[in-house]
Amino acid sequence: MRGRRAECDGGKGIEGTHFAGRQEFAGTLTGHFRDFGDYPWRWYLMTDLTHKPAGCAHDGVWCASESLVFEDG
Amino acid sequence: MSGPLHTPLCDKLGIEYPIVAFTHCKDVAVAVINAGGFAVLGEAMHAPDHIAADIKWIRDRVAGKPFGIDLVLPSSVPEERTVEQLLAGIPQEHRDFEQKIKQKYDVPDPKEAPNLHIWGGLDQKRALAQVEVVFDERVPVFASGLGSPAFLLKRAHQLGIQVWGLVGKPRQARKQIAAGTDVIIAQGYDAAGHTGNIGTFSIVPQVVDAARGTGVPVIAAGGVTTGRHLAAALALGADGVWTGSLWLASRESDLNLPLKERLLEAETDDTVYSDCISGYTMRTTRAPWHDEWLRPDAPEVLKPPLQMLLSANYIQGSLDYQRKDLMTEAAGQGIHYVTEMKPARQILSDLVDGALDVFDRFASA
Repeated sequence: MRGRRAECDGGKGIEGTHFAGRQEFAGTLTGHFRDFGDYPWRWYLMTDLTHKPAGCAHDGVWCASESLVFEDG
Repeated sequence: MSGPLHTPLCDKLGIEYPIVAFTHCKDVAVAVINAGGFAVLGEAMHAPDHIAADIKWIRDRVAGKPFGIDLVLPSSVPEERTVEQLLAGIPQEHRDFEQKIKQKYDVPDPKEAPNLHIWGGLDQKRALAQVEVVFDERVPVFASGLGSPAFLLKRAHQLGIQVWGLVGKPRQARKQIAAGTDVIIAQGYDAAGHTGNIGTFSIVPQVVDAARGTGVPVIAAGGVTTGRHLAAALALGADGVWTGSLWLASRESDLNLPLKERLLEAETDDTVYSDCISGYTMRTTRAPWHDEWLRPDAPEVLKPPLQMLLSANYIQGSLDYQRKDLMTEAAGQGIHYVTEMKPARQILSDLVDGALDVFDRFASA
């Protein structure tokens, strides 16, 4: 995965509410990943963000594997 | 049972009408289920114990009929910080602006500090703990309100649980269908809360096309509040509708009365798609908070979660002291048609009758 460019259809729950918010990112995967649970639920780290929400201060974001759409198909 | 309202979704769930009520209120859920529809209870904010109790409560009242639980699976997560660190990140200009709003509209302080720690979508481990309850309780349907549920399909299917995914883009639908998700909810821009940026009339047929030949039912979401909307959704190829705002002012809804009144008064253009509540764009009813933040001289909206930390006192204060003039609630553009505080059973019946009227009109033309 390292070096692959991808878009992330991201987002998460909005703190203190019942609701969620969508966010979109594009960047490069570092190759780092984390697994949660027994399924497993795999997450990849994306940095060198070329697209992120306006005002987003983060330089990297963890993306659920199924949220990724790769530029190289 | 046959007829224009009998769709593959009805067969898949064993229900009479292809109408799904998405609600955070158990009473609404039970009323809709017992009236022949289907209900999905939103539990994103609740701890596992609370979710388990809600599931049992519903089960005790629906005589074995199916229902669903919705959770918000996160799809992206930035680096995490403590609430204290987050609060320290709010610029003084923004704190001053919030205080100016508070004074101008006499916004009361909330009775207790808003609890900003209880949510299920931010932390993967917390989300999984919530999912485990749904699995342990063998809830018939698990719906993911945001992130793809593909990673848990195998386990869910082994347990006999259907998995539904709510999408805001056709490509999300294609991926989830390919992964084996049982039902896709195509949510359009008209919807309350988080939406993609594609209108309901545009996203629904695209997702229907993506599902063609796969046997995966598609449910239309976003702005559905009348029988005409239901008929239109079926005409677009959907197998049912997902409804939310429709139930907010129902008799059974546990929203406080002033807020229900506010919703009954709201028109379509009283909803605003803005990020000034939370830093995420979401559709809610317009309130003085929006009016101030949408002014050209307002500070720039902070990104999540800081903006939510800034708005939390305003929102909680308005609810604690029942200040209808200050309140805001997530509501879709279909709110125009929510004009009476009716029992949920009547709302469902009106939806069905309205749709059948449309089909009768076409049949007799």
